[in-house]
Amino acid sequence: MNIKDQANRLLLHPERRFGADLDTWMVDVGGEGLENALQDPDSIIPTIKNAELLGLGGSGFPTHIKWSYVSEEGLNEDGSRSTDIDKYLICNGNEDEPGTFKDRILLKETPHQVIEGALITALGVGANQIVFYINPEQKGSLEAMEEATEQWSDSTLLQRISTELGRPLELFVVASSGHYIGGEETAALESIEGNFPFPRGKPPYPAKAGLFGMPTLINNIETIANVSHIMRNGAEWFKSLGRGSSHGTKIFSLSGDVLRPGAYELPMGTPLQELIDIHGGGMLLNRKLKAVFMGGPSNTILTPKDLDVPLDFYKVQERRSSLGTGAMIVVSEGTGVVRRVTEYISFFAKSSCGQCPSCKTGTYYAAQLLTKIDSGSGSQADLDTLINLTKILPGSGRCHLLDGAMKLLDSSLYHFMDEYEQPLLIDKTVDNR
Amino acid sequence: MNSNISYREALEKYTPKKESSLPPTTTAKGALLEEFHPDYITECRTTLKSGVNRGDSCHTQLAELLQSDSRINEANLAGAETIETDVLVIGGGGAGCAAALIAQQNGARVILATKLRLGDSNTVMAEGGIQASLNREDTPQLHYDDTISAGHNRSDPKLVSKLVLDGPDVIRWLIQQGMQFDLDEFGDILTRRAGGSSADRICFYRDYTGLEMMRILRESVHNSNIEVWDYSPTVELLGDEQGGCSGAVISSLQQKRYIQVSAKSVIIATGGIGRMHLNGFPTSNHFGATGDGLVLAYRMGVKLRDLDSFQYHPTGLSHPNHLTGSLITEGVRSCGTWLLNGNGERFIDELSARDVVAAAVIKECREGRGITTEDGNVGVWLDTPGLELRSPGILAERFPKLISLGKKAAIDPTKEPLLIYPTLHYQNGGAVIDVDGRTEVDGLFCCGEVSGGIHGKNRLMGNALLEIISFGRRAGLAAAERKKLRHNGQLSIEHLNQLRRELSEENLSLEKQGPLLFPDYAKFDLDSDYSKLRRTQKI
Repeated sequence: MNIKDQANRLLLHPERRFGADLDTWMVDVGGEGLENALQDPDSIIPTIKNAELLGLGGSGFPTHIKWSYVSEEGLNEDGSRSTDIDKYLICNGNEDEPGTFKDRILLKETPHQVIEGALITALGVGANQIVFYINPEQKGSLEAMEEATEQWSDSTLLQRISTELGRPLELFVVASSGHYIGGEETAALESIEGNFPFPRGKPPYPAKAGLFGMPTLINNIETIANVSHIMRNGAEWFKSLGRGSSHGTKIFSLSGDVLRPGAYELPMGTPLQELIDIHGGGMLLNRKLKAVFMGGPSNTILTPKDLDVPLDFYKVQERRSSLGTGAMIVVSEGTGVVRRVTEYISFFAKSSCGQCPSCKTGTYYAAQLLTKIDSGSGSQADLDTLINLTKILPGSGRCHLLDGAMKLLDSSLYHFMDEYEQPLLIDKTVDNR
Repeated sequence: MNSNISYREALEKYTPKKESSLPPTTTAKGALLEEFHPDYITECRTTLKSGVNRGDSCHTQLAELLQSDSRINEANLAGAETIETDVLVIGGGGAGCAAALIAQQNGARVILATKLRLGDSNTVMAEGGIQASLNREDTPQLHYDDTISAGHNRSDPKLVSKLVLDGPDVIRWLIQQGMQFDLDEFGDILTRRAGGSSADRICFYRDYTGLEMMRILRESVHNSNIEVWDYSPTVELLGDEQGGCSGAVISSLQQKRYIQVSAKSVIIATGGIGRMHLNGFPTSNHFGATGDGLVLAYRMGVKLRDLDSFQYHPTGLSHPNHLTGSLITEGVRSCGTWLLNGNGERFIDELSARDVVAAAVIKECREGRGITTEDGNVGVWLDTPGLELRSPGILAERFPKLISLGKKAAIDPTKEPLLIYPTLHYQNGGAVIDVDGRTEVDGLFCCGEVSGGIHGKNRLMGNALLEIISFGRRAGLAAAERKKLRHNGQLSIEHLNQLRRELSEENLSLEKQGPLLFPDYAKFDLDSDYSKLRRTQKI
């Protein structure tokens, strides 16, 4: 098959992107996966396990393990599911990571793909409340999901799930506050409960005490979107979609200095070079690649020697990076890395919820130092302080915001130290004159 | 054209006349324009392949510029200082000053960045006057009708209605700022009639109305808290994530570095395109009229209109050679000066709209009734001695700038006629705006010549000076409103990547860079050989 044709064959299939239209979805592939799930609800988690579906929101954590935890909560003494304890499924669509734009497409253009996946998931783990938690600043997502959930309200399939669960299954669409930090698992819980999205300390984990203290499963929109297809065609089929030893597909948000940026759903394990050169049409104006900010900026940077890396959670980890949300911000020679990093660290400083002092002041201080260095007025002492921050700050916050920011800073210092030192050198020559 | 009469021969034949009747029109207005007006030359038109106006007809030279590569990329901005303000005004002509003054008076912090010096603009070139329906026999409705009809019904009626209604207040405001007008014996403002209009509506100060206007605007700006950056051309606008405009990249020619300005609103008031010398025409425009604002706005996604319509002023000087293109005010024709061909005959109603008169002049010259100089320039007579004969002393009293132009040309206009030929004068179209100068791009405003829609396909004399103040003030007020926004937007040049993608996809050349900033012939190189330019003889 032509490599170009490998793009957008499942979740982002062009013929599947018709928006909130349940009838068309049912005529297409809708209902089949749910029907299979209803035939044998106990097979759902094992099928997901066999398919080796991973958390596509960035963690790459095996989905079935998370599901099993939640599934095992809220049981009666005899091991049967209690119908008195509410159990929640949160579909996390608070996408706000710079350079990431995949969930908004799924929500706006394929809402029923997401909803059917969520119904199967709820059936699998015994959840009776589904919350679609959506960033209101993405145009169209919220509207499409509201319209689409409404269309399910008198569906017989939904009634059959309720019967199977022993209690009515309820669907809610909730707008997030639009804060970046609101996408963090426990911050999402706070936000849905009506509070400011402050991340919670763990444990307790949401699987035990999540939303309103009840067992809660939180999955990313893209993960959920895959579920109906796995239940429809089976685990083996899903695994075969990947390349090499990888399984399934992944949506990559390609942006930056390439000819054709955009969202590309590709087989897991597609080499980075192929994504940039074939799907992205190559570098803009044939410039030389300098770096790729991968997985959103809260991550390590890849350089041209990593172009051969197969894009897969495990393979990317071998290069001491991580696939993250699948954002690929491509940067060409001539782009100032210090300025880019300054922008991103400033973004984190602005996005910090301010709960943990180390994060609140640490990100802000780092942003200040970076701005100083970038504008040519930094000193060697500033750079030394910056390096020190990357050593002392990680691990000191409740959530991963601070860690991610420092990971980026550390990685950029490792790869592009000369660019940090250069503006300092200019400063010295001025002094000598 | 070679069969034209020679300059010397024509001058010998010429005698000023007291009376002359207009010959019957031989060609209809429409046909005359189509055959002889430069806008209608089909070889000079092309279709735009990129940007929001994709598919629209455009002059080839302008299209080349609109589809050019940017001067900057990210590397240029590494280390660039960022300065924050509420309103950034780009352009230091009349529109820019008016906008900056009003924005500042409404509480906004204002930076005015100009490519040359404050006041280096086409505003100072405006000689004839400013239209405003002050006269007892005149009404804004008549002004509106004249403007729409001169623009061949292609103007935006909403913009025109605001323009004509603003007229009297604009004059009041200008007088408050200290501007002088020529007055009659009762102290009322003198008015005269412009070509193509139905009432005496031009208010003027000698024949340097624009210069006087710029004088008071410049003084007002210098006496305000507006921060003025001279020699600071804007090379690119900056965008935010939502596609709005969040500032600009300014090249400081004196400090030799780029500065990023982060602003809540940006007002483009960069004027026109005369120095692009479309179709090889000389121009009456000042040195900086290189269409920069059009390019900047177009890249941000602002729709442009009437890109194929330019005004060629009928009376640009054609002899002597070194003054080619210099403007002679339409006021001279308003006072009753005739145009005569090589045979000493009138050939057009001199007070027709500018495009018609220009086309008629070109027709005379092309059909062998024009006058050719030794330098190869062509033209027809502007019969100033005839006017002097009919109203003695009028030239010295009303048109000191013309007399001074005559001195430079070593011609006494009271005794000898001036050779004139159309000169590239004004860009009729431009950025699409609403009544407050807003473009479709959030945070980006345009006013003055860079904007389009007011003049349709042809501009009336005096409407440009009215427009710059009327819409400059409107844009300034609307821009100042945005100071209430909580944050300045993020600064990015992603729109330039988008531009480069589009150009690559369309296989367009990325060699030419825009905006032009300065005319090509002004770009000196230290290694160039200037020996030929050096004067060898004493004059």
